[in-house]
Amino acid sequence: MFYLKVLEITSLYTILVLGVYLMTGLTGLFSLGQGAFVSIGAYTAAIAYMNFGAPFPLALALAVIIGAILGFLVGIPTLRLRRDYFLLVTFCLSEMVRAALLYLSQLTGGALGMAGMPKRVGLPLILGSIVVITFITYSLKRSRFGRDCIAIRDDELAASMMGINVYAHKIKVFMISSAITAYGGALYAFNILFIEPNLFNWLESAKLIIITFVGGLNSIAGVIIASTIYYSFGEFFRFIDVWRDVLLAVVVVLVIIFRPGGLLQGLELLPSKLRAMRRGR
Amino acid sequence: MNWNILLQQILNGISLGGVYALMAVGFGLIFNVLKFSNFSHGGVVTLSAYIGFFLSQHLLPSFLVTFLLTAVAGGLAAVTIERLVFRPIRRKGYPVSMLIVNSITVAMLVQQFFAVTLGSDYYTYPVFIKETALHLGNLTVSKIYLLMLGISAVVLGGLSYVIRKTKIGIAIRAVSSDISTPSLMGVNVDFVISVAFFFSGVLGGITGYLLGMAFTVDPFIGSMILKGIIASIIGGMGSILGGVIAGLLLGAAESLLIAEIGAALTPIVIYGAIIVLLLIRPQGIAGKIAEVKA
Repeated sequence: MFYLKVLEITSLYTILVLGVYLMTGLTGLFSLGQGAFVSIGAYTAAIAYMNFGAPFPLALALAVIIGAILGFLVGIPTLRLRRDYFLLVTFCLSEMVRAALLYLSQLTGGALGMAGMPKRVGLPLILGSIVVITFITYSLKRSRFGRDCIAIRDDELAASMMGINVYAHKIKVFMISSAITAYGGALYAFNILFIEPNLFNWLESAKLIIITFVGGLNSIAGVIIASTIYYSFGEFFRFIDVWRDVLLAVVVVLVIIFRPGGLLQGLELLPSKLRAMRRGR
Repeated sequence: MNWNILLQQILNGISLGGVYALMAVGFGLIFNVLKFSNFSHGGVVTLSAYIGFFLSQHLLPSFLVTFLLTAVAGGLAAVTIERLVFRPIRRKGYPVSMLIVNSITVAMLVQQFFAVTLGSDYYTYPVFIKETALHLGNLTVSKIYLLMLGISAVVLGGLSYVIRKTKIGIAIRAVSSDISTPSLMGVNVDFVISVAFFFSGVLGGITGYLLGMAFTVDPFIGSMILKGIIASIIGGMGSILGGVIAGLLLGAAESLLIAEIGAALTPIVIYGAIIVLLLIRPQGIAGKIAEVKA
């Protein structure tokens, strides 16, 4: 039972990390506002279900749609500018959403948060979602669109010279990313059954980015492994749990300096690759 | 709202705006030189707030001495961070994104470290100034706020002079506009970057001290860096004067808004305004646009 719970929480966070992977790992966009999209997704689904009696699948769909729309709205003014503006404005966004959730206490319960959702999300749905999202992410990475995104990440100017519409690509990626993150938030609301405005602050958003870098920008497998290790770590090593983030930070600095490709150095764990490895390449 | 209250609010806001300006400039200085958003500045602010507290509470309760010591400590902290965390990445020629990730990580490291070790308590600086308010006609000015404004003005004026007139200032500006060419002219770029980090850290140290003195010290005091970042965006990233004007404006706007519409709605309005501002005038007040160069 305990391990089941750990697996559930770890998997929920892995969905969020996968959402960030598309944006940060593939396209090189940094957002410190992913926490805002988690909150938006969680609150949208919870409010739709609790206050307006929407059926659960519709509530999930609404969360995804609202997340994508918000991503679009935030993307328009910021993605035209250089990356730092995007980073800083998404930082502002996360604070803004937090303040808004506290302010709209009629709807959101304010600082007390929302509770009383029925448990509609179990491990099968979460793991199924991870498989589907990983598949989507992997297909995107292999597609022409994904290669364009990698080109943008590595050299924006050169990419635009090659005829890639950098702005349009960034907006699309950001929307997909936001939608996935909001979906993760909605699952969170119906699995943990309690949400409050301070749950996902900038630090949580920062961790999502950091884990992506530890896993490696070019490796979805590495990112999933890094996320699993980090989020299950605290549950198994309770006695040093409070030091978890400090430890993570030190590890990250070391990884980035000495192993900038990430844990797996851009290796994807595919069946064909694994077979090749077993044969000694 | 009558004129008196309005003026009073603006006055309070400007005093706090001085500290925002300090943060904006400390943040913008590194942005100018290395072209990345240095979140570790928030870490330096937090660290300095604690250093200032322990110096003044346990070592000697003298404002001037502890203030100067904290400023220097902040500078040294920033230089150390640069040496340990940023320089190896820069040397190996990795992309700027690695610098951003490391700066975010350092900010997280400092915040979580203090949250774990000292996070359960609030720390208050000793009282340096006995009589806390000053009366100017109908207006009341808190002496601490006045001191904050004065210090901010002196420090920023001094920095502006150094950047404009001295040799090292010219070197910093040269490295800002092009990081590789000055080394061909015999400028020690690594040293110049260290100096820039030292200046930025001194600003961070002063910010931390002033914030700690005006409020209480907790691990999340570094989150105030967000206000400095906003001022930096409004001012046009990297411009000292723009950052100062924007910091003062932000402080005044904030305290007026809090008085008018309440503390809950204020952040929503301010952050919303930033997004609109970027839509209309992305280059900020100072009109310097930071573009990605080839």
